[in-house]
Amino acid sequence: MLQIENLHAGYGKVEVLHGISVAVPKGKVVTLIGSNGAGKTTTMRAISGMIKPVSGNISLNGKNITGMTSSRIARSGLAHSPEGRRVFATLSVTDNLLLGAFPRLTYGRERGDVQGDLERVFELFPRLRERKSQLAGTLSGGEQQMLAMGRALMLNPDVLLLDEPSMGLAPLLVSEVFRIVSELKGRGITMLLVEQFAAAALNVADYGYVLENGRISCHGPADQLKNDPAVKAAYLGAAH
Amino acid sequence: MEILAQLVVSGIALGMIYGLIAFGYQLTFATSGTLNFGQGEALMLGALVGLTLVGHMSYWLMIPLVIVFGALQGIFVERVGVLPALKTKSEFGWIMTTISLAIIFKNVAENIWGHDDITFPSPLPTAPLQFFGIRVLPMEILVVVGALAIILAVELFNRKSIYGKAVVATSSDRDAAGLMGINTGMVITFSYALSSMTAAFAGVLIAPLTLTGATMGVVLGLKAFSVAIIGGLNSGMGVIVGGLILGIAETTTGYYISTGYKDVPGLLLLLLVLSIKPAGMFGKSVIKKV
Repeated sequence: MLQIENLHAGYGKVEVLHGISVAVPKGKVVTLIGSNGAGKTTTMRAISGMIKPVSGNISLNGKNITGMTSSRIARSGLAHSPEGRRVFATLSVTDNLLLGAFPRLTYGRERGDVQGDLERVFELFPRLRERKSQLAGTLSGGEQQMLAMGRALMLNPDVLLLDEPSMGLAPLLVSEVFRIVSELKGRGITMLLVEQFAAAALNVADYGYVLENGRISCHGPADQLKNDPAVKAAYLGAAH
Repeated sequence: MEILAQLVVSGIALGMIYGLIAFGYQLTFATSGTLNFGQGEALMLGALVGLTLVGHMSYWLMIPLVIVFGALQGIFVERVGVLPALKTKSEFGWIMTTISLAIIFKNVAENIWGHDDITFPSPLPTAPLQFFGIRVLPMEILVVVGALAIILAVELFNRKSIYGKAVVATSSDRDAAGLMGINTGMVITFSYALSSMTAAFAGVLIAPLTLTGATMGVVLGLKAFSVAIIGGLNSGMGVIVGGLILGIAETTTGYYISTGYKDVPGLLLLLLVLSIKPAGMFGKSVIKKV
Protein backbone atom coordinates (compact mmCIF):
# COMPACT_ATOMS: atom_id res chain seq x y z
CA MET A 1 0.00 0.00 0.00
CA LEU A 2 2.56 2.58 1.19
CA GLN A 3 6.19 1.92 0.26
CA ILE A 4 9.11 4.08 1.34
CA GLU A 5 12.49 3.22 -0.10
CA ASN A 6 15.84 4.72 0.85
CA LEU A 7 14.30 8.04 1.87
CA HIS A 8 16.64 10.96 2.53
CA ALA A 9 15.05 14.14 3.84
CA GLY A 10 15.69 17.08 6.11
CA TYR A 11 15.36 20.81 6.55
CA GLY A 12 17.48 23.09 4.40
CA LYS A 13 21.01 21.72 4.43
CA VAL A 14 20.48 19.59 7.50
CA GLU A 15 19.70 16.01 6.58
CA VAL A 16 17.62 14.25 9.22
CA LEU A 17 16.76 10.99 7.49
CA HIS A 18 19.68 9.06 6.04
CA GLY A 19 17.99 6.51 3.82
CA ILE A 20 15.10 4.78 5.52
CA SER A 21 12.82 2.13 4.07
CA VAL A 22 9.40 1.37 5.51
CA ALA A 23 6.53 -0.69 4.15
CA VAL A 24 2.92 -0.32 5.27
CA PRO A 25 0.84 -3.19 3.85
CA LYS A 26 -2.89 -2.83 3.21
CA GLY A 27 -5.06 -3.23 6.29
CA LYS A 28 -2.11 -3.27 8.66
CA VAL A 29 -1.00 -0.94 11.40
CA VAL A 30 2.70 -0.15 11.32
CA THR A 31 4.36 1.86 14.04
CA LEU A 32 7.49 3.93 13.99
CA ILE A 33 9.12 4.29 17.38
CA GLY A 34 12.23 6.10 18.47
CA SER A 35 13.46 8.77 20.82
CA ASN A 36 13.03 12.51 20.41
CA GLY A 37 14.85 13.82 17.39
CA ALA A 38 15.23 10.41 15.76
CA GLY A 39 13.32 11.65 12.69
CA LYS A 40 9.84 10.20 13.22
CA THR A 41 7.95 13.40 12.46
CA THR A 42 10.32 14.21 9.60
CA THR A 43 9.46 10.84 8.07
CA MET A 44 5.76 11.62 8.31
CA ARG A 45 6.25 15.07 6.82
CA ALA A 46 8.28 13.73 3.93
CA ILE A 47 5.63 11.11 3.17
CA SER A 48 2.74 13.57 3.10
CA GLY A 49 4.65 16.19 1.12
CA MET A 50 4.96 18.81 3.88
CA ILE A 51 8.68 18.74 3.14
CA LYS A 52 10.33 17.68 -0.12
CA PRO A 53 12.43 14.52 0.14
CA VAL A 54 16.04 14.92 -1.03
CA SER A 55 16.09 11.48 -2.59
CA GLY A 56 14.44 8.12 -2.34
CA ASN A 57 11.13 6.77 -3.43
CA ILE A 58 7.67 6.90 -1.91
CA SER A 59 4.76 5.13 -3.54
CA LEU A 60 1.13 4.90 -2.60
CA ASN A 61 -0.96 2.15 -4.18
CA GLY A 62 1.87 1.57 -6.63
CA LYS A 63 1.76 5.21 -7.71
CA ASN A 64 4.91 7.27 -7.25
CA ILE A 65 4.14 10.25 -5.01
CA THR A 66 7.73 11.34 -4.26
CA GLY A 67 8.12 15.11 -4.38
CA MET A 68 4.45 15.82 -5.02
CA THR A 69 2.81 18.72 -3.18
CA SER A 70 0.93 17.82 -0.02
CA SER A 71 -2.39 18.70 -1.63
CA ARG A 72 -1.82 16.26 -4.51
CA ILE A 73 -0.74 13.54 -2.12
CA ALA A 74 -3.88 14.07 -0.04
CA ARG A 75 -5.96 13.81 -3.19
CA SER A 76 -4.19 10.53 -3.96
CA GLY A 77 -5.66 9.13 -0.75
CA LEU A 78 -3.16 9.74 2.02
CA ALA A 79 -4.41 11.48 5.17
CA HIS A 80 -1.98 12.91 7.70
CA SER A 81 -3.03 13.86 11.21
CA PRO A 82 -0.01 16.03 11.99
CA GLU A 83 2.00 16.49 15.13
CA GLY A 84 0.54 19.31 17.20
CA ARG A 85 -2.97 18.64 15.79
CA ARG A 86 -3.00 21.74 13.57
CA VAL A 87 -6.78 22.16 13.58
CA PHE A 88 -8.22 25.27 11.92
CA ALA A 89 -8.74 27.42 14.99
CA THR A 90 -11.04 29.96 13.37
CA LEU A 91 -13.42 27.39 11.87
CA SER A 92 -16.11 25.33 13.57
CA VAL A 93 -15.66 21.65 14.39
CA THR A 94 -18.02 20.65 11.57
CA ASP A 95 -16.19 22.87 9.07
CA ASN A 96 -12.86 21.35 10.12
CA LEU A 97 -14.28 17.89 9.48
CA LEU A 98 -15.77 18.88 6.12
CA LEU A 99 -12.41 20.27 5.04
CA GLY A 100 -10.95 16.84 5.74
CA ALA A 101 -13.24 15.67 2.95
CA PHE A 102 -12.21 18.54 0.65
CA PRO A 103 -10.94 16.31 -2.19
CA ARG A 104 -14.18 14.32 -2.00
CA LEU A 105 -16.32 17.47 -2.09
CA THR A 106 -14.37 18.99 -4.96
CA TYR A 107 -12.25 16.74 -7.14
CA GLY A 108 -9.62 14.04 -6.98
CA ARG A 109 -11.47 11.57 -4.85
CA GLU A 110 -14.71 9.67 -5.06
CA ARG A 111 -17.39 11.60 -3.21
CA GLY A 112 -19.19 8.70 -1.51
CA ASP A 113 -21.36 9.47 1.48
CA VAL A 114 -19.74 12.51 3.10
CA GLN A 115 -22.70 13.22 5.40
CA GLY A 116 -22.75 9.58 6.49
CA ASP A 117 -19.03 9.67 7.22
CA LEU A 118 -19.53 12.84 9.24
CA GLU A 119 -22.11 10.95 11.31
CA ARG A 120 -19.68 8.07 11.77
CA VAL A 121 -16.93 10.42 12.97
CA PHE A 122 -19.40 11.91 15.45
CA GLU A 123 -20.23 8.38 16.64
CA LEU A 124 -16.55 7.63 17.10
CA PHE A 125 -15.95 10.93 18.91
CA PRO A 126 -19.18 11.89 20.72
CA ARG A 127 -17.48 14.93 22.23
CA LEU A 128 -17.08 16.41 18.77
CA ARG A 129 -20.82 16.14 18.15
CA GLU A 130 -21.48 18.03 21.38
CA ARG A 131 -19.18 20.78 20.20
CA LYS A 132 -19.84 20.71 16.49
CA SER A 133 -20.61 24.43 16.14
CA GLN A 134 -17.83 25.55 18.45
CA LEU A 135 -14.66 27.08 17.01
CA ALA A 136 -11.87 24.51 16.95
CA GLY A 137 -9.48 26.93 18.67
CA THR A 138 -11.62 26.84 21.81
CA LEU A 139 -11.47 23.04 22.20
CA SER A 140 -9.30 21.38 24.83
CA GLY A 141 -6.13 19.58 23.77
CA GLY A 142 -7.78 16.17 23.88
CA GLU A 143 -10.75 17.38 21.86
CA GLN A 144 -8.45 18.96 19.31
CA GLN A 145 -6.66 15.63 18.94
CA MET A 146 -10.00 13.90 18.34
CA LEU A 147 -10.79 16.56 15.77
CA ALA A 148 -7.45 16.14 14.00
CA MET A 149 -8.01 12.39 13.78
CA GLY A 150 -11.62 12.77 12.71
CA ARG A 151 -10.63 15.31 10.08
CA ALA A 152 -8.04 12.90 8.64
CA LEU A 153 -10.63 10.11 8.58
CA MET A 154 -13.00 12.30 6.57
CA LEU A 155 -10.77 11.83 3.53
CA ASN A 156 -11.76 8.17 3.58
CA PRO A 157 -8.03 7.57 3.20
CA ASP A 158 -6.20 4.60 1.75
CA VAL A 159 -3.46 5.21 4.30
CA LEU A 160 -3.74 7.20 7.51
CA LEU A 161 -0.67 8.75 9.12
CA LEU A 162 -1.05 9.48 12.83
CA ASP A 163 1.76 11.56 14.27
CA GLU A 164 1.97 11.49 18.07
CA PRO A 165 -1.77 11.34 18.71
CA SER A 166 -1.19 11.03 22.45
CA MET A 167 1.21 13.95 22.78
CA GLY A 168 0.48 16.24 25.70
CA LEU A 169 -2.66 14.41 26.76
CA ALA A 170 -3.71 13.31 30.24
CA PRO A 171 -3.21 9.57 30.91
CA LEU A 172 -6.92 8.84 30.66
CA LEU A 173 -7.06 10.48 27.23
CA VAL A 174 -3.95 8.64 26.09
CA SER A 175 -5.66 5.30 26.62
CA GLU A 176 -8.75 6.70 24.89
CA VAL A 177 -6.59 7.57 21.86
CA PHE A 178 -5.17 4.05 21.74
CA ARG A 179 -8.67 2.58 22.11
CA ILE A 180 -9.70 4.56 19.03
CA VAL A 181 -6.61 3.48 17.09
CA SER A 182 -7.47 -0.19 17.71
CA GLU A 183 -11.10 0.53 16.80
CA LEU A 184 -9.89 1.97 13.48
CA LYS A 185 -7.64 -1.03 13.01
CA GLY A 186 -10.68 -3.24 13.48
CA ARG A 187 -12.33 -1.36 10.61
CA GLY A 188 -9.42 -2.33 8.38
CA ILE A 189 -7.86 1.12 8.05
CA THR A 190 -4.21 1.06 6.97
CA MET A 191 -2.17 3.14 9.39
CA LEU A 192 1.32 4.38 10.03
CA LEU A 193 1.53 5.39 13.68
CA VAL A 194 4.28 7.46 15.27
CA GLU A 195 4.33 7.33 19.03
CA GLN A 196 6.44 8.05 22.05
CA PHE A 197 4.49 5.51 24.08
CA ALA A 198 6.34 2.69 22.37
CA ALA A 199 4.81 -0.13 24.41
CA ALA A 200 1.24 0.94 23.74
CA ALA A 201 2.06 1.50 20.07
CA LEU A 202 3.56 -1.97 19.73
CA ASN A 203 0.49 -3.44 21.43
CA VAL A 204 -1.85 -2.08 18.78
CA ALA A 205 0.48 -2.42 15.76
CA ASP A 206 1.15 -5.41 13.54
CA TYR A 207 4.65 -4.41 12.65
CA GLY A 208 7.19 -1.98 14.01
CA TYR A 209 10.25 -0.01 12.95
CA VAL A 210 12.76 1.49 15.35
CA LEU A 211 14.22 4.77 14.17
CA GLU A 212 17.56 5.88 15.56
CA ASN A 213 19.36 9.04 14.41
CA GLY A 214 17.64 9.00 11.03
CA ARG A 215 18.23 5.31 10.32
CA ILE A 216 16.13 2.22 10.89
CA SER A 217 18.04 0.30 13.54
CA CYS A 218 15.72 -2.69 13.61
CA HIS A 219 12.28 -3.79 12.53
CA GLY A 220 10.03 -6.77 12.84
CA PRO A 221 6.58 -7.97 13.85
CA ALA A 222 5.31 -5.98 16.82
CA ASP A 223 5.21 -8.99 19.15
CA GLN A 224 8.80 -9.77 18.38
CA LEU A 225 9.98 -6.18 18.93
CA LYS A 226 8.16 -6.05 22.25
CA ASN A 227 10.30 -8.90 23.51
CA ASP A 228 13.55 -7.79 21.94
CA PRO A 229 15.94 -7.07 24.83
CA ALA A 230 17.60 -4.10 23.10
CA VAL A 231 14.27 -2.47 22.21
CA LYS A 232 12.98 -3.17 25.70
CA ALA A 233 15.95 -1.52 27.32
CA ALA A 234 15.98 1.53 25.07
CA TYR A 235 12.30 2.28 24.46
CA LEU A 236 9.99 0.25 26.63
CA GLY A 237 11.62 1.06 29.94
CA ALA A 238 11.05 -0.46 33.33
CA ALA A 239 7.64 1.20 33.76
CA HIS A 240 6.09 -1.00 31.09
CA MET B 1 -26.88 70.21 13.04
CA GLU B 2 -28.03 69.96 9.47
CA ILE B 3 -24.57 70.76 8.27
CA LEU B 4 -23.06 68.07 10.48
CA ALA B 5 -25.57 65.51 9.17
CA GLN B 6 -24.69 66.57 5.64
CA LEU B 7 -20.98 66.13 6.34
CA VAL B 8 -21.57 62.71 7.85
CA VAL B 9 -23.53 61.59 4.82
CA SER B 10 -20.79 62.76 2.46
CA GLY B 11 -18.20 61.09 4.65
CA ILE B 12 -20.03 57.78 4.48
CA ALA B 13 -19.64 57.40 0.71
CA LEU B 14 -15.95 58.23 0.90
CA GLY B 15 -15.51 55.94 3.90
CA MET B 16 -17.12 53.02 2.12
CA ILE B 17 -14.55 53.33 -0.65
CA TYR B 18 -11.72 53.32 1.89
CA GLY B 19 -13.36 50.33 3.52
CA LEU B 20 -13.65 48.48 0.22
CA ILE B 21 -9.98 48.98 -0.67
CA ALA B 22 -8.97 48.04 2.88
CA PHE B 23 -11.06 44.91 2.53
CA GLY B 24 -8.88 44.06 -0.46
CA TYR B 25 -5.76 44.39 1.71
CA GLN B 26 -7.29 41.97 4.20
CA LEU B 27 -8.05 39.35 1.55
CA THR B 28 -4.44 38.77 0.55
CA PHE B 29 -3.07 39.29 4.04
CA ALA B 30 -5.32 36.53 5.35
CA THR B 31 -4.16 33.87 2.90
CA SER B 32 -0.50 34.73 2.40
CA GLY B 33 0.55 37.29 5.01
CA THR B 34 1.34 39.65 2.15
CA LEU B 35 -0.28 42.87 0.96
CA ASN B 36 -0.57 44.37 -2.47
CA PHE B 37 0.76 47.88 -1.99
CA GLY B 38 -0.54 48.58 -5.47
CA GLN B 39 -4.17 48.39 -4.35
CA GLY B 40 -4.58 52.08 -5.16
CA GLU B 41 -3.19 51.48 -8.64
CA ALA B 42 -5.52 48.52 -9.11
CA LEU B 43 -8.35 50.93 -8.33
CA MET B 44 -6.95 53.51 -10.74
CA LEU B 45 -6.56 50.99 -13.58
CA GLY B 46 -10.09 49.75 -12.95
CA ALA B 47 -11.43 53.28 -13.16
CA LEU B 48 -9.49 54.16 -16.33
CA VAL B 49 -10.32 50.90 -18.11
CA GLY B 50 -13.92 51.54 -17.10
CA LEU B 51 -13.68 55.05 -18.52
CA THR B 52 -12.50 53.73 -21.88
CA LEU B 53 -15.19 51.07 -21.89
CA VAL B 54 -18.09 53.44 -21.11
CA GLY B 55 -17.31 55.11 -24.42
CA HIS B 56 -18.60 51.96 -26.08
CA MET B 57 -21.23 50.60 -23.72
CA SER B 58 -23.41 51.40 -20.72
CA TYR B 59 -21.97 51.81 -17.23
CA TRP B 60 -23.76 48.70 -16.00
CA LEU B 61 -22.43 46.51 -18.78
CA MET B 62 -18.94 47.86 -18.14
CA ILE B 63 -18.87 46.80 -14.47
CA PRO B 64 -18.58 43.03 -15.04
CA LEU B 65 -15.82 43.61 -17.61
CA VAL B 66 -13.88 45.82 -15.20
CA ILE B 67 -14.30 43.16 -12.51
CA VAL B 68 -12.80 40.56 -14.85
CA PHE B 69 -9.99 42.96 -15.73
CA GLY B 70 -9.31 43.59 -12.03
CA ALA B 71 -9.13 39.86 -11.31
CA LEU B 72 -6.63 39.33 -14.15
CA GLN B 73 -4.56 42.29 -12.99
CA GLY B 74 -4.46 40.77 -9.49
CA ILE B 75 -3.34 37.41 -10.85
CA PHE B 76 -0.59 39.21 -12.79
CA VAL B 77 0.64 40.99 -9.63
CA GLU B 78 0.66 37.75 -7.66
CA ARG B 79 2.44 35.72 -10.33
CA VAL B 80 5.03 38.34 -11.23
CA GLY B 81 5.57 40.11 -7.93
CA VAL B 82 4.51 38.05 -4.97
CA LEU B 83 4.93 34.40 -5.92
CA PRO B 84 8.68 34.64 -6.61
CA ALA B 85 9.18 36.35 -3.23
CA LEU B 86 7.12 33.72 -1.43
CA LYS B 87 8.98 30.92 -3.23
CA THR B 88 12.38 32.14 -2.20
CA LYS B 89 10.98 32.74 1.30
CA SER B 90 12.05 36.36 1.00
CA GLU B 91 10.40 37.94 3.98
CA PHE B 92 10.00 41.45 2.63
CA GLY B 93 10.59 41.03 -1.11
CA TRP B 94 6.89 41.32 -1.83
CA ILE B 95 6.81 44.82 -0.36
CA MET B 96 9.26 46.12 -2.95
CA THR B 97 7.79 44.14 -5.84
CA THR B 98 4.23 45.27 -5.23
CA ILE B 99 5.36 48.88 -4.83
CA SER B 100 7.47 48.63 -8.02
CA LEU B 101 4.58 47.16 -9.96
CA ALA B 102 2.38 49.97 -8.65
CA ILE B 103 4.80 52.57 -10.01
CA ILE B 104 4.96 50.76 -13.35
CA PHE B 105 1.16 50.66 -13.57
CA LYS B 106 0.99 54.37 -12.83
CA ASN B 107 3.52 55.16 -15.57
CA VAL B 108 1.74 52.95 -18.06
CA ALA B 109 -1.53 54.65 -17.21
CA GLU B 110 0.03 58.09 -17.66
CA ASN B 111 1.22 57.07 -21.10
CA ILE B 112 -2.10 55.64 -22.19
CA TRP B 113 -4.57 58.06 -20.61
CA GLY B 114 -2.38 61.12 -20.17
CA HIS B 115 -1.45 63.22 -17.15
CA ASP B 116 -4.68 65.14 -16.81
CA ASP B 117 -7.61 64.15 -14.68
CA ILE B 118 -10.68 63.29 -16.70
CA THR B 119 -14.33 63.43 -15.63
CA PHE B 120 -16.11 60.14 -15.55
CA PRO B 121 -19.66 60.34 -16.91
CA SER B 122 -22.14 59.61 -14.15
CA PRO B 123 -24.55 56.75 -14.86
CA LEU B 124 -27.08 58.21 -12.43
CA PRO B 125 -28.68 61.68 -12.32
CA THR B 126 -26.24 64.20 -10.87
CA ALA B 127 -28.93 66.22 -9.15
CA PRO B 128 -28.90 65.51 -5.42
CA LEU B 129 -31.88 63.97 -3.67
CA GLN B 130 -33.25 65.65 -0.55
CA PHE B 131 -33.84 63.71 2.65
CA PHE B 132 -34.92 65.90 5.60
CA GLY B 133 -32.90 68.72 4.17
CA ILE B 134 -29.82 66.60 3.63
CA ARG B 135 -28.63 66.33 0.06
CA VAL B 136 -27.50 62.95 -1.16
CA LEU B 137 -26.15 62.23 -4.60
CA PRO B 138 -27.67 59.11 -6.19
CA MET B 139 -24.11 58.03 -6.96
CA GLU B 140 -23.25 58.14 -3.25
CA ILE B 141 -26.06 55.69 -2.55
CA LEU B 142 -24.74 53.43 -5.30
CA VAL B 143 -21.26 53.53 -3.73
CA VAL B 144 -22.58 52.42 -0.35
CA VAL B 145 -24.86 49.72 -1.78
CA GLY B 146 -22.21 48.43 -4.20
CA ALA B 147 -19.45 48.28 -1.59
CA LEU B 148 -21.63 46.50 0.95
CA ALA B 149 -22.89 44.08 -1.70
CA ILE B 150 -19.43 42.94 -2.75
CA ILE B 151 -18.16 42.60 0.83
CA LEU B 152 -21.23 40.57 1.79
CA ALA B 153 -20.85 38.39 -1.29
CA VAL B 154 -17.25 37.55 -0.37
CA GLU B 155 -18.12 36.90 3.28
CA LEU B 156 -21.00 34.66 2.26
CA PHE B 157 -18.73 32.73 -0.08
CA ASN B 158 -16.17 32.24 2.69
CA ARG B 159 -18.70 31.06 5.21
CA LYS B 160 -20.97 28.89 3.12
CA SER B 161 -19.08 27.27 0.26
CA ILE B 162 -16.46 24.58 0.68
CA TYR B 163 -14.08 26.63 -1.49
CA GLY B 164 -14.55 29.61 0.81
CA LYS B 165 -13.84 27.42 3.81
CA ALA B 166 -10.68 26.30 2.03
CA VAL B 167 -9.69 29.98 1.84
CA VAL B 168 -10.30 30.41 5.58
CA ALA B 169 -8.39 27.20 6.30
CA THR B 170 -5.45 28.48 4.28
CA SER B 171 -5.43 31.68 6.34
CA SER B 172 -5.63 29.70 9.56
CA ASP B 173 -2.85 27.17 8.87
CA ARG B 174 -1.36 26.95 5.41
CA ASP B 175 0.53 23.67 5.90
CA ALA B 176 -2.46 21.93 7.44
CA ALA B 177 -4.65 23.23 4.61
CA GLY B 178 -2.27 21.57 2.17
CA LEU B 179 -2.75 18.29 4.02
CA MET B 180 -6.49 18.59 3.38
CA GLY B 181 -5.80 18.48 -0.36
CA ILE B 182 -6.25 22.24 -0.72
CA ASN B 183 -3.99 23.78 -3.35
CA THR B 184 -2.89 26.67 -1.16
CA GLY B 185 -0.86 28.33 -3.92
CA MET B 186 -4.04 28.57 -5.94
CA VAL B 187 -5.91 29.98 -2.95
CA ILE B 188 -3.33 32.77 -2.65
CA THR B 189 -3.55 33.59 -6.37
CA PHE B 190 -7.32 33.61 -6.03
CA SER B 191 -7.14 36.01 -3.08
CA TYR B 192 -5.04 38.42 -5.16
CA ALA B 193 -7.57 38.19 -7.98
CA LEU B 194 -10.38 38.92 -5.55
CA SER B 195 -8.45 41.73 -3.91
CA SER B 196 -7.68 43.59 -7.15
CA MET B 197 -11.19 42.89 -8.34
CA THR B 198 -12.69 44.73 -5.36
CA ALA B 199 -10.25 47.59 -5.92
CA ALA B 200 -11.16 47.88 -9.62
CA PHE B 201 -14.82 47.79 -8.65
CA ALA B 202 -14.19 50.51 -6.06
CA GLY B 203 -12.54 52.50 -8.85
CA VAL B 204 -15.58 52.56 -11.10
CA LEU B 205 -17.82 53.28 -8.11
CA ILE B 206 -15.86 56.31 -6.97
CA ALA B 207 -14.85 57.62 -10.41
CA PRO B 208 -18.13 59.42 -11.20
CA LEU B 209 -17.84 61.27 -7.85
CA THR B 210 -14.24 62.33 -8.26
CA LEU B 211 -11.98 62.75 -11.23
CA THR B 212 -10.25 59.90 -13.00
CA GLY B 213 -6.53 59.92 -13.65
CA ALA B 214 -3.29 58.03 -13.31
CA THR B 215 -2.54 59.47 -9.88
CA MET B 216 -5.98 58.98 -8.32
CA GLY B 217 -4.98 55.73 -6.63
CA VAL B 218 -1.94 56.88 -4.68
CA VAL B 219 -3.70 58.71 -1.85
CA LEU B 220 -6.70 56.38 -1.80
CA GLY B 221 -4.47 53.32 -1.51
CA LEU B 222 -2.49 54.87 1.32
CA LYS B 223 -5.54 55.98 3.28
CA ALA B 224 -7.18 52.61 2.82
CA PHE B 225 -4.03 51.07 4.21
CA SER B 226 -4.39 53.09 7.38
CA VAL B 227 -8.05 52.05 7.49
CA ALA B 228 -6.96 48.42 7.28
CA ILE B 229 -4.61 49.01 10.21
CA ILE B 230 -7.23 50.93 12.20
CA GLY B 231 -9.95 48.38 11.57
CA GLY B 232 -7.65 45.39 11.93
CA LEU B 233 -6.05 43.42 9.12
CA ASN B 234 -7.91 40.28 10.14
CA SER B 235 -11.24 41.67 11.24
CA GLY B 236 -13.63 41.35 8.28
CA MET B 237 -16.21 44.00 9.02
CA GLY B 238 -13.81 46.19 11.01
CA VAL B 239 -12.64 47.83 7.79
CA ILE B 240 -16.11 49.19 7.08
CA VAL B 241 -16.24 50.87 10.48
CA GLY B 242 -12.64 52.02 10.10
CA GLY B 243 -13.43 53.40 6.65
CA LEU B 244 -16.50 55.25 7.87
CA ILE B 245 -14.61 56.76 10.80
CA LEU B 246 -11.88 58.03 8.50
CA GLY B 247 -14.32 59.26 5.84
CA ILE B 248 -16.46 61.18 8.32
CA ALA B 249 -13.43 62.54 10.18
CA GLU B 250 -12.16 63.93 6.87
CA THR B 251 -15.32 65.69 5.79
CA THR B 252 -16.01 67.17 9.23
CA THR B 253 -12.44 68.34 9.78
CA GLY B 254 -12.41 69.76 6.28
CA TYR B 255 -15.45 71.87 7.09
CA TYR B 256 -14.96 72.85 10.74
CA ILE B 257 -11.21 73.31 10.81
CA SER B 258 -9.65 73.52 7.39
CA THR B 259 -9.46 71.32 4.35
CA GLY B 260 -5.69 71.55 4.77
CA TYR B 261 -6.01 69.55 7.97
CA LYS B 262 -8.56 67.01 6.76
CA ASP B 263 -6.10 64.11 6.74
CA VAL B 264 -4.87 64.76 10.27
CA PRO B 265 -7.59 63.09 12.41
CA GLY B 266 -7.30 59.87 10.48
CA LEU B 267 -3.55 59.77 10.89
CA LEU B 268 -3.83 60.65 14.58
CA LEU B 269 -6.28 57.81 14.97
CA LEU B 270 -3.82 55.53 13.20
CA LEU B 271 -1.06 56.49 15.64
CA LEU B 272 -3.43 56.01 18.56
CA VAL B 273 -4.57 52.56 17.42
CA LEU B 274 -1.01 51.45 16.75
CA SER B 275 0.10 52.43 20.23
CA ILE B 276 -2.94 51.14 22.14
CA LYS B 277 -4.27 48.17 20.20
CA PRO B 278 -1.85 47.19 17.41
CA ALA B 279 -4.12 44.39 16.15
CA GLY B 280 -6.60 47.10 15.14
CA MET B 281 -9.79 48.31 16.80
CA PHE B 282 -11.61 45.17 15.77
CA GLY B 283 -8.63 42.90 15.27
CA LYS B 284 -9.11 39.55 16.89
CA SER B 285 -6.44 37.68 18.69
CA VAL B 286 -7.41 34.07 18.14
CA ILE B 287 -8.10 32.12 21.28
CA LYS B 288 -5.85 29.10 21.17
CA LYS B 289 -5.85 26.48 23.87
CA VAL B 290 -2.87 24.20 24.09
